[in-house]
Amino acid sequence: METKTRSKTLKEFIEAAETLVNPEIHRWKKQGGKVVGYFCSYGPKEIITAADLLPFRMRATGSTGTELADAYLDSINCSFCRHCFNLGLRGEYDFIDGAVWLNTCDHVRRVYDNWKRYVKTPLVHILSLPKKMGQPQVEWYRGELTMFKERLEKHFAVEITDERLWEAIKLHNQTRRLQRRLYDLRKRQNPPITGAETMAVMVAGTAMPNAQYNELLRQLLDEISNVEGNVDYRARLMIVGAILDDPAYVEVIESQGGLVVTDMLCFGTRIMWKDVDEGAGDPIAALAQYYVAERPSCPRMFGDYPRRAGFIRDMIREFKVDGIIGERMLFCDNWTAEHFMMGKEFKAAGIPYLTLDREYLLAGVGQLRTRVQAFLETMGR
Amino acid sequence: MTGKELQRKRLQKFIQERDVLHAMVEAFTKSPTAEEKLYRMLTEVYVDHHNEIIRCVEEDKPFIASYFACAPEIYTAMNLPWYTFLTPAFTGAISEPVLEAEIDASEKLFGKDFCTILRIAGYYIEQDLAPIPTAIIALLHPCDGTTVLHQIIQTNEEWRNVPMFAADPPYWEDERSIDYYAGELKRMVSFLEEHTGHRLDMDRLQEAIKESNKQYELWMEYNELRRAVPCPHGYGVGMQAFGVAESFIVGAPKGTEWFKVLLADAEKLVREGKGKVANERIRLLWFDVVSLGWCFDLFPWLEEEWGAVIVMDMFGYTPYTLIDTSTEDSMFKGLAKRALFDVPMVRQARGVADNFLSDIRRIVKDYKIDCVVWPGHMGHKDGAAAIGMMRDTCREIGVPFLHIGLDLFDKRYTTVEEIKDKFSKFFTAMGLG
Amino acid sequence: MDAVPRRTETKREEKNGVIVGGCDIGSATGKAVVMKDGEIVSYVIIPSTTKPEVTARTAMDEAIKKAGLSALEDLGYIVGTGYGRLKVPFANENISEITCHAQGAHWLCPTVRTVIDIGGQDCKVMSLDDKGKVIEFVMNDRCAAGTGRFFEAMARTLDCGLEGLSLLSLQAKRPAAITSQCSVFAESEVITLVNEGIDLEDIAAGLHNSIAGRLISMVRKVGLTEDVALTGGCAKNEGLVKALEEKLGVRVKKLPVDPQIVGAVGAALIAAKRLSRQS
Repeated sequence: METKTRSKTLKEFIEAAETLVNPEIHRWKKQGGKVVGYFCSYGPKEIITAADLLPFRMRATGSTGTELADAYLDSINCSFCRHCFNLGLRGEYDFIDGAVWLNTCDHVRRVYDNWKRYVKTPLVHILSLPKKMGQPQVEWYRGELTMFKERLEKHFAVEITDERLWEAIKLHNQTRRLQRRLYDLRKRQNPPITGAETMAVMVAGTAMPNAQYNELLRQLLDEISNVEGNVDYRARLMIVGAILDDPAYVEVIESQGGLVVTDMLCFGTRIMWKDVDEGAGDPIAALAQYYVAERPSCPRMFGDYPRRAGFIRDMIREFKVDGIIGERMLFCDNWTAEHFMMGKEFKAAGIPYLTLDREYLLAGVGQLRTRVQAFLETMGR
Repeated sequence: MTGKELQRKRLQKFIQERDVLHAMVEAFTKSPTAEEKLYRMLTEVYVDHHNEIIRCVEEDKPFIASYFACAPEIYTAMNLPWYTFLTPAFTGAISEPVLEAEIDASEKLFGKDFCTILRIAGYYIEQDLAPIPTAIIALLHPCDGTTVLHQIIQTNEEWRNVPMFAADPPYWEDERSIDYYAGELKRMVSFLEEHTGHRLDMDRLQEAIKESNKQYELWMEYNELRRAVPCPHGYGVGMQAFGVAESFIVGAPKGTEWFKVLLADAEKLVREGKGKVANERIRLLWFDVVSLGWCFDLFPWLEEEWGAVIVMDMFGYTPYTLIDTSTEDSMFKGLAKRALFDVPMVRQARGVADNFLSDIRRIVKDYKIDCVVWPGHMGHKDGAAAIGMMRDTCREIGVPFLHIGLDLFDKRYTTVEEIKDKFSKFFTAMGLG
Repeated sequence: MDAVPRRTETKREEKNGVIVGGCDIGSATGKAVVMKDGEIVSYVIIPSTTKPEVTARTAMDEAIKKAGLSALEDLGYIVGTGYGRLKVPFANENISEITCHAQGAHWLCPTVRTVIDIGGQDCKVMSLDDKGKVIEFVMNDRCAAGTGRFFEAMARTLDCGLEGLSLLSLQAKRPAAITSQCSVFAESEVITLVNEGIDLEDIAAGLHNSIAGRLISMVRKVGLTEDVALTGGCAKNEGLVKALEEKLGVRVKKLPVDPQIVGAVGAALIAAKRLSRQS
């Protein structure tokens, strides 16, 4: 992608986002480090970090087809899942030493079942994430996280002490804080970074050791905090959706004059808007509380729609959003419902809401441009 | 619209459904066959059930909306009539043009790839075509669609004031999971007591479960008879058995009577060596719902044209676990286990894929299955992602595997002709029949 | 197109003067084959009319004439085959197209173990044992292109004709990535690419790669065992063959006849077996 913002650091982030295995990971592995992939933003990366392993958010960057995966999955399955599994079958995920899934959704949980049988990753695990957010659920999940921690300890012959867990939590919270600072800059009338560039920064944050990432992000913040910023845009947009990891997609959206100033995405605010409580008694309990009850939820969590809608309302106010673009992967049931409810609510409140169905690989760019252009026009911008 | 008018509008479809069932009763009363006698018995009960719900609405008495997978023995014990949002797509098959128009209308709200049966349910609720219950027990598994349908209901302007409880499902079925889910069921009971005013009497629960246990036992005996070659009964009975044991009349003595009649008929046929089909050539596992619409064309055609009998289907296959009724704790644990592990479709789809595969192995062996069919309903996203594993399992055990790809409730998605063609090609290629 | 291939096997089970016919009626074309003493003496391929009985009769009559015979009665036995539950009315027997394709492919090349049939309407992949019996069988799922219809539609969009589409693809330098599985979406992708100035050759190759990819998935479901043979009209598309070979990583075994007539050949072979059993 081309970058509008004049920043050297940004190029490193973009490289990490546009490749699957970036130089930082190569470096980590060369030094004898191990990598554990996680297949959903709910993945407990803090526990992986605490084990001195590098957590890697699995995606399918660089995939060009699903021919191998299509022998096992079906055409009515999420293309993100198909592409990831395809990479696994092709050996492109041989660099990971373990992987953990959650029963996030019907497509993701079956990737675990298939991966376990057909890809040679040494350790595979799946967590039972509750679908409600009450205290019994937090308790249940505490048990799940404990079992996962113990499994990692056994397999990688490490001890994951409470101390190391707290260190990891603090480190990841620092990342979150820095990322929120980045988003703060986008509240301005003239944001110094585009939505596409921000996406690259967020994706990169899941693909390298957090200590390094935090350093780079501080640098970026220094570089752009006092820059002029973008003034030539016709509308301020918010992207709402799930597994969008492709800066090029956001680029296409922004090519029609709209500027993406914030979002509610898996590679976006959902993973960093809240911190894990560092004052809690027990780190595993703190993590369970955070993931089940505190962090901005995904539609697979039942009963939390009002809070998510409230989150968007806050965003609209804080970031002065003019319109919302909702993206949905074809065959995703969770987001069919979410966009139905959100579309209804926000349109009724006078906020323009456009829903775009897509597949994992960016295709039909012409059509996408046209739709966004038409949307901006109906917004009167 | 006045309150009364709105109530009548909401009941409209439900009353139509009752009338359709009533018409079916009339039709079955004319027929002499034993199998259709069973149909009649069952449908009469459904008509009575519908009448009861209608009465509750008109007389302002408590009733709830729920599912077969949420320990319905409890509702029986609490004397709480219940209905489910999911019947319209089933019974709608009687009048296909109407159902198709509703499916199309629901597409405008929820798009094309959302499961049809859930889409119709959501559509009915958005359009004031479903009676508003006193409380709703939501289901959060086996699939994503079910969970978010209830979220949609919760945000609907009219329905958001209806108290709703959802039991959170663990992903496993071990001791810890059963304990957890039993806890959720207990919370469900507190919720129902609070919002309906009905109390759960432990003696009544024990009674209902004991009766239910009897039915499951008879059902297992009946299934044993289906192992016979030729299979004594055809495609409809599995769904009916499920209907009796797990929906609406759970734990009622009428249900036990029904199973006894069923068992007697099957025993007689097996003793006489008689099969549903005179020349049984292919024994099928239809690994999904046997939906009403296909009962009018596809399934009879399979029997007549190919001598292909659906010896076992997903809903006819419910493993038998006796629930220990000695204490409150053992009953709730037993109900939790049944809800997670025994009820069909939930059993296979809600957790790891292993249940699909182990069931295939078991059923193929026990029932001498010649061909495993995964109909591939468009709503089953998790099942779709398991077809490779299912195929490999079938390959291992040496039985042909056919994946069709259809919509159990919309024949335009894949037409009957297309499906017949696929079956014919497949049977021929595999040298079956 | 008028070459008369010879059978390669040494075993001869047919008696002297055994003349049979095979008739394969498809959605796009009707094929008829006349065989005498285990050799193909004539074959025709004609476009299907709206009446399958008429197509069948016309094709068979033409093949008979080409074989130097005069009437239908000159054939000792006729086997019909075709899509759906269609029956060839004058045939002694109608056999499924799967069996006919498998028999035909196996006879033409006994080392064939995987057959990919790419017809006008649908695609099938089957694995055979050493006797030509079908072991596993997979059909395309409902949303499939990968058939003659798809290529026709794309040829129209690019305004280049079917052969033109194939030729273009063979000259591609950098095949475009076409990701849509559905022909409706693929069409709009193609239009976007054309508007972006992408070379037609690269677009054509992209289309072929996309279809080949889908066929490969079907092959993987059945399991790839060499030799692999293609049958059906689309097997004549060199661009598709090339794309398939690249993705499969194996060379496709070229059958010694027009791949479109393999079903009719298989039907004729079965007719011959029936006849020899009768006498």
